Amino acid sequence: MDVWSHVAAGVLAVIQGPAMFHVGAIPVSVTIVMILAGFLAGIAVGATPGLAGPMAMAVSLPILISVFGYEQASLLPVLGFLIGVMKGATVGGAVPAILFNTPGTPDALLTTYDGYPMTRNGQSGKALRIAHFSSVSGDTLSDILLFLCAPFLAVLVESFLDLPEKTALILLSMAFIAAVVGKSVMKGLLAAGFGMLVAFVGTGEEFYPRLSAGLPELAQGIPVVSAILGMLILGEVIKGLEDLMRERSATGRISQVAETGDNRLALREKLRLLPFIGNSAAIGAIVGILPGVGSTLAATLGYASGRRKQARRGGAEFGTGAPEGVASTEAANSAVSGANLIPVLSLGIPGNTAAVFLILAMETIGGFNPGPSVFRIPSEGMNEEMVIAFGIFTAMVIANLLNWTIGGAFMRWMGIMIRIPKQILLPSVLLVTMVAIYAQETSFSALVFALGFGVLGYFFRKLHISVLPFVIAFILAGTLERTARQAFSATGGDPFFLFSSPLAAILMIVAVALVILFGRRRMESQH
Amino acid sequence: MIKRILASLVALAALASAAATAQAEWMPGGPIKMLIGFRAGGGADTQARLIAEELEERHGWKIIPEQMTGKGGAVLAAALKEEPADGTAIGIIVTESLGYNMVAAKNAGYQQSDFTALTTTAGFQMGIVALTSKGWNTFDELVEAARAGEQIRFGAMSPKLADLAYLLGKAHGIEFNIVMTQGGKGVMDGLNAGDLDIGWGAGIQNNAVLAGDMINLASGLSTRLMVSPDAPTINELGLPFSADGYFIFVSPDGITAEAREALSSAIASIVSDGDTEAGGFIEKAFGGSVVIAGEELDALLAAEEAAAAALLEKASR
Repeated sequence: MDVWSHVAAGVLAVIQGPAMFHVGAIPVSVTIVMILAGFLAGIAVGATPGLAGPMAMAVSLPILISVFGYEQASLLPVLGFLIGVMKGATVGGAVPAILFNTPGTPDALLTTYDGYPMTRNGQSGKALRIAHFSSVSGDTLSDILLFLCAPFLAVLVESFLDLPEKTALILLSMAFIAAVVGKSVMKGLLAAGFGMLVAFVGTGEEFYPRLSAGLPELAQGIPVVSAILGMLILGEVIKGLEDLMRERSATGRISQVAETGDNRLALREKLRLLPFIGNSAAIGAIVGILPGVGSTLAATLGYASGRRKQARRGGAEFGTGAPEGVASTEAANSAVSGANLIPVLSLGIPGNTAAVFLILAMETIGGFNPGPSVFRIPSEGMNEEMVIAFGIFTAMVIANLLNWTIGGAFMRWMGIMIRIPKQILLPSVLLVTMVAIYAQETSFSALVFALGFGVLGYFFRKLHISVLPFVIAFILAGTLERTARQAFSATGGDPFFLFSSPLAAILMIVAVALVILFGRRRMESQH
Repeated sequence: MIKRILASLVALAALASAAATAQAEWMPGGPIKMLIGFRAGGGADTQARLIAEELEERHGWKIIPEQMTGKGGAVLAAALKEEPADGTAIGIIVTESLGYNMVAAKNAGYQQSDFTALTTTAGFQMGIVALTSKGWNTFDELVEAARAGEQIRFGAMSPKLADLAYLLGKAHGIEFNIVMTQGGKGVMDGLNAGDLDIGWGAGIQNNAVLAGDMINLASGLSTRLMVSPDAPTINELGLPFSADGYFIFVSPDGITAEAREALSSAIASIVSDGDTEAGGFIEKAFGGSVVIAGEELDALLAAEEAAAAALLEKASR
């Protein structure tokens, strides 16, 4: 049996799978229904401030498994739903970032840089359309890459990257984000260091919960959602409330942004954005293949490279509401998701949190063991795992089609939320975020932590320190520590493991060079 | 006077009937909080949640599962200790949490006597795993390669397993580069990515072994592995310890014998029934249920603690 018969079998497994109901005489496969359901749920979750895709996947996985059971036939419907959530949430996530300046994920923070200024210029509808168009384009390109290269690419990447190189790669991406985002490299580095310090509380290999000062609340570590949502959303809400207060005492009333002018996205504008989207999508796809760094690096790289391109071309400067800024970020972070599945399918190693839940589903249900054997063509008969892999690809294509069609309509419809007056919106966002945090952590101390990080995020904003280096360092600190420890012991306790191989040494030199280079350029631009 | 006698008679009757129902079926005084010491969505967590569902269905108890992970079960143990000892709080961890991890932590904040062990649910099929593409067919071939100068990276997901790996190398005159990973999944990822050469697998490797992608070079148990009966145990390889371990349900110490009996037999009958979702899952994920309860379980835990002390002593020498 050749590859094509496997592809055909995979497509049929999705389309002709067990029927959920009939439309007339045509059976509708349960997998397709689940993809649609997941997609709609994902958009709703992504568009809600404080909620994000991985959280929805975590909540729905046990429910899905108890509904479908852990037989092999349930694998595609369950994965279909999760993939739908993943894709829907990526698109939906841009909505609160653009309309309210309250990003639910670190990558969406970069979308706010130009998306929110566009909203204030009365162009929220256009910003949403650009976000949707770029996000879906990036995603589609990335999926195509996945379909074409999945079998061998991850194996190739992994054979190049040993533990020391992986450690160096994480350090490099943290250094890059700290150096590129925000006004000052030094402030970025300090914020990143602080983020790591906070992440080190209560974690690590020791049996004693370090840095916890004997407090049981700290012994389990700081809840991730509290730190991230506190910094990203609550900090912005506090700042927003302060701005409202000042505005009212200065002018006696609160202004309201409304859409003005033509908010449609013409074909000509789309074409103008395409170079930015293509560039960012390529960056996102490459980052997606690398293990352990994820979509925020892609978004940052895409944004930075788009900014340079724009400076060369002489369009509107990034950060002032440039459509190209939104396009560069959204295309890059969406292009990660497809490529991220390459290490998942061919090695079983997750590249981001969303992929973790896909692997958990595969493991729990069984019948599909991600690994090199998935893409091996047997001399006779069918490789059932390969059929499932192509079934997963089919599910992704269907989710993409939904994204192009329903996703676009949804985005246009979401623009209405801009009419909510700010004095009602900000408290609502606060409430929804707090509820979201409590739902995920079910502990009161998580709320206290979130408020604490909200205040911290407020001061970061007042002092013009970007919260992104803090957030990303907080997220990556655990992986960094684990990989560094592993690299150290794997090399037999070599203290210079970061410089023992040429590739690792190069990555480290690039990291240092980036910091110096960007630091000097900022200094010059200030004088 | 007669009134008083009557009243006390009524009270007595009420008491007697209450005792009778309690004997018929013990009921918790409210919803049962089930602490789960494993990350959400994994096999161990799924097992716990399926058991919780079945307990609700069979006995009408209300179970509230709650994740409490970290420090190899120590975070859960420290929290469970403070819960009321009336059967409304139970937790699922591994026996290692009440053995090696407790002994090794200088100040664990809990001891075995803080808990009443209810029952085990399943054991680990602990083996030393390598990719078949590495070319080693037996543990001896691995030792030979190491003696010939090849650096061997050995993945371990807990300090106890790291100690065992160290001692196993020592017994054969070789030194492994022991790499700590996050959970058994971390070992599998490391092997697949080529970051590790060998590692411990607690049963997660079974499918890959059956598919021929991986091989068990040795059994970490006191018995040989179900899927690889040819692989010698680490006992046979000259190590006087074993990595036997089980998933175990515990409650705070001081619950009544009745509650202990009711809870442990309720859980045991679910996990050993392959027709329930929980039982079926355990069969598939962990190779079948292992139920040890009552005094036998107490003895097992005591032995685990003693063995842990001996292992630590030997590894630190």
